[in-house]
Amino acid sequence: MSNSPYIVEMNHIIKTFPGVRALDDVSFRLKSGEVMALLGENGAGKSTLMKILSGVYTRDSGDIQIFGNSQIGDLNPRKAQDLGVSIIHQELNMCSHLTVAQNIFLGREVCNGNLLDDNAMNEQAKEVLSSLHIDIAPQTVVGTLAVSKQQMVEIAKALLCDAKILIMDEPTSALTSVEINQLFELIRELKRKGCGIVYISHRLEELQYIVDSVTIMRDGKFIIEKPFNALTMNQIISYMVGREIKEKFPHTLTKKGNKIFAVKHLNAGKLVRDVSFDVFEGEILGIAGLMGAGRTETTRAIFGIDPKESGEIEINGRGVNIKHPEDAIKAGLVLVPEDRKRDGLCVKLSVRENIALPNLDIICNKVGVINRKTERNLVKKAISGLRIKLTTEEVNASSLSGGNQQKVVVGKWLARNSSVVMFDEPTRGIDVASKVEIYHLMNQLKEQGIAVLFVSSEMPEIMGVSDRIVVMCDGKITGELLRQDATQEKIMEYATQFENKLGSR
Amino acid sequence: MKKILIVVCVLLLATSLFAQGAKEDSGYKVYLITMDQMDQHWVNVDKGAQKAAQELGGVDYKWLAPDVKDDAKQIESINNAVAGGADAILLAANGPNAVTAALKEAESAGVKIVYVDSAANYPAVQTLATDNTAAGTTAGKELLGALTSSGVSSGKIGVISVNSATASTVARENGFRIAFEGTGFQILETQYCDGDAARSKDMSANFITQGVVGLFGANEGSTVGIGNAIAEAKKSVIGVGFDKSDMILSLIKGGHLLCTMAQNPDVMGYEGMKTAVKALKGEAIGASYYDTGVSVLTKDNL
Amino acid sequence: MSRDKFGLVRRVLAIRGIGQVLTVTVGLIVLYVVFGIMNPVFFSSRNIANLLRQIAPILLIGIGQSYVLITGNIDLSIGSVVGMSCMISATMMAKGANPWVAVLVTIICCLALGLANGLLVSFAKLPPFIATLGTMTIARGIAQIANNNYNTDSIGEAAQGFRDFFYYGKTFGLYNTIWIALVLWLIFNFILTRTRSGRHIYAVGSNVEAARLSGVNVISATTKAYLVSAFVSCVVGLITAATSGMGTMDAGNSYELYAVAASVIGGISTLGGQGLLFGTVIGASIWGVLQNGLQFAGAPVAIRNIVIGIIVVVSVLLDVIVRSGKGSRKKHISIVA
Repeated sequence: MSNSPYIVEMNHIIKTFPGVRALDDVSFRLKSGEVMALLGENGAGKSTLMKILSGVYTRDSGDIQIFGNSQIGDLNPRKAQDLGVSIIHQELNMCSHLTVAQNIFLGREVCNGNLLDDNAMNEQAKEVLSSLHIDIAPQTVVGTLAVSKQQMVEIAKALLCDAKILIMDEPTSALTSVEINQLFELIRELKRKGCGIVYISHRLEELQYIVDSVTIMRDGKFIIEKPFNALTMNQIISYMVGREIKEKFPHTLTKKGNKIFAVKHLNAGKLVRDVSFDVFEGEILGIAGLMGAGRTETTRAIFGIDPKESGEIEINGRGVNIKHPEDAIKAGLVLVPEDRKRDGLCVKLSVRENIALPNLDIICNKVGVINRKTERNLVKKAISGLRIKLTTEEVNASSLSGGNQQKVVVGKWLARNSSVVMFDEPTRGIDVASKVEIYHLMNQLKEQGIAVLFVSSEMPEIMGVSDRIVVMCDGKITGELLRQDATQEKIMEYATQFENKLGSR
Repeated sequence: MKKILIVVCVLLLATSLFAQGAKEDSGYKVYLITMDQMDQHWVNVDKGAQKAAQELGGVDYKWLAPDVKDDAKQIESINNAVAGGADAILLAANGPNAVTAALKEAESAGVKIVYVDSAANYPAVQTLATDNTAAGTTAGKELLGALTSSGVSSGKIGVISVNSATASTVARENGFRIAFEGTGFQILETQYCDGDAARSKDMSANFITQGVVGLFGANEGSTVGIGNAIAEAKKSVIGVGFDKSDMILSLIKGGHLLCTMAQNPDVMGYEGMKTAVKALKGEAIGASYYDTGVSVLTKDNL
Repeated sequence: MSRDKFGLVRRVLAIRGIGQVLTVTVGLIVLYVVFGIMNPVFFSSRNIANLLRQIAPILLIGIGQSYVLITGNIDLSIGSVVGMSCMISATMMAKGANPWVAVLVTIICCLALGLANGLLVSFAKLPPFIATLGTMTIARGIAQIANNNYNTDSIGEAAQGFRDFFYYGKTFGLYNTIWIALVLWLIFNFILTRTRSGRHIYAVGSNVEAARLSGVNVISATTKAYLVSAFVSCVVGLITAATSGMGTMDAGNSYELYAVAASVIGGISTLGGQGLLFGTVIGASIWGVLQNGLQFAGAPVAIRNIVIGIIVVVSVLLDVIVRSGKGSRKKHISIVA
């Protein structure tokens, strides 16, 4: 038993997934009675680190000490729970058909002999809930509760498992200000009881009300750990994004022309709120932001996949009414989606069939019979134009490399003389050479006078390729930057500009 | 020159006579090809064919059948028979259309085809099978007779069959209804049990509750259910059915079923063999369809 | 005193899922009355006794299918296990084996199949539709070869005790079959509502990931449900053998679908995680009343099939429409693929 004040100590943690080093010699410490914020961009490694602590993943190397005891060998969720580690996921994990008490005691039911003792469980649940000042009856069916209340039930459940180390992943995203205050009270109560809390959040403005210390990660590495009061917000953002941008991105300067694409006051659910922007001839508009900011949802609403509540779309000055993707395609607006394997390609069909698919109206005659010659020419043109590497166009789309698959997705649209092409995370999971080809392609399109929208989570990329950048946060557009004015810090500032539910500073 | 020619001709004639005679010596090769080898039904067909073969003499008889009911395997059997030099085959076709191609080839090889129990969609010398409709009428007549002789001339009759698609049971039901035309009895809506004797028993019990005086089962499962229901209800309901099985026989012996219609597979084999040999000898055949009929099995003749 | 009564009523009404159960109970009563009006013989005491005895096997297979549906899966092998059980037990008895030895052997064989179902679905992670389609075929095959591809001979005089126990005998004025169904329903309802295993079965159907992360043994819970299903199907097979006095290879044809119908009509959701076993009683009763009543009403087969089909489709539609929400559509597809 060491005399260290730290209840969690992780040192030199390394975790590799195929092709990527998710955690590179990372350290992390947590004291009893402390709220430690764990900050970093998407992909920095925060979730991975916490999953290792809670036993969901196993580390490749490095040591972990919990309450001074070295953990030799691998943890699993049950073991971690027994040691007092509990994780409250962002995606709630409750059985919606069971009651609050039943969920709290799931897997550790209180029994009278061999029979369930529901009375005892209801009593104990009531106790835990009231000790945390949560006003929910234990017999309430969880599916009928608001998400915020479900979150509180999860916290109560963690406590009942005697959790002394509580990891909370974006706990306030679904809460109103009143509920956030309640949650923070709860967290203070837990601190008093000696629990250590890891608080993962992008809502930097809220941290001041609850956080004691900050650990910042970037690109799988540990950057710094300091008491919260010792850093300014700007410094925090700087540490989060302050990488040296070594890559050079191909960027062409094209004269800006007329407005060819306009989105006005688009509303589509919680993640697309009053979104408006314009795209001009000869420019690439980048859309930056964190995961869950609403960028993909915006492209889907524009393309007609998701229904929208209100808003107008204009192409070349004329309004277009888009209710389904077909309408968008007919209007000359196309989307290269985020999940190419699921939404962009028919993986079991050949490359030729994929490229031909949205172009059948061009390829078929009036009766609907496919003209083989037209099809072949169209496909060949797409393949050579994009330099897609394949042996023959008959191979299954799934057999191509990520980069070539993405080119097929793009290729099927290019035959159509579109006016607007939206790219959603086009270079995710693609090798470097193919990435460059995609950047060149986007430049080509903009030179041809096609409006290009480019959604990406990789800041260097967005800053390198776009002419103008629009930043989204929590469904709204929070900032706009010209290429020459954009810095990583400014983008991150806009990207974390959540509505401060707790009032201004 | 002329002399040599005459000698050659005589030799040729003699050889051809010999050839005929040689054929007569080894007899006609007749193959029986059934649906499988296990069902008692086919065993009886084989027995009948064997009996006829012995009686007739000069027949080289073989029984071929796949181990399970399967179209592809039956086609194989037919081809094997033809390759083995069959002169005639007695066939119980699995399905009416599956084997027609193989039969065409057999016929062009000169093989005579006789159907036993189930015909295929291909012309043959004769088909020997149970005329299910006639059998149904026989069953109906038995029931009618028993009812009238016990003084009952009107009332409700229940019918339990398998399903609305199986040709054989549908034909039996139709035949049954014919026997009751113009009588004072009302036949209620047929109930289908899918061959499940337990379901048949429930349905029969319901009929009995409705006050039927007679019950008819179109196959083994249906009939067993009827017998069990009558046994339990202890009411004076008369039941007749189809097929022969240990359970049905014991229900008849116990007095719960009046009688059952049993097919005559041995007649199919016996008469089928006789027809085949007649055809090979070039004799006239007669009718193209031979009803091998049903035997009415009652308590008395068991 | 009257306050107590209200409290009880209120508590009953608060049970999740009681709404549908009450609705179908009303439906059952209406159906019963309508059929009786169409043919008063339907109300006779003789028919009531028969009717209850006809409902019993449907309730039993309903219990099994309900358990499996609650875990979010499906069991298509139920009918074939009934056939397998009928044939194995009848073959042994027809050959002179002691009926109770035959019963024991049959139970073991059926439970083995249930175990296979459970492991295929939860351990090998096969889609339940495919896995139980496979075991359905295997069980039906076993039913066929049990007596070398024939139906069996009579199970004989020595089996009269067996026949009375499972079907023909009466105890306290009710047919034994009814008692068997009732007792087994009480036991399995108890297990489902008052034991840890039962709670886990609901949890796995509600959110299998949440259950897993809470330390619930998902493989154990899923397999238990399939074992229950195999057991009750086995009992129904024994009842069938007792009824007929012999084994038919066709026994149990299509029963898995009747079991789904009884469960869904009774309020068990095909999406998993909810439903009351009491609802299955009502669902099975409605099924039995339909079969029996339509015969008394003299309905031709076509009408009967259409009526039954419509009721089943409407029940499943209501189930999906009322219960569907975000995410449950994904779950629904998981039964099939």
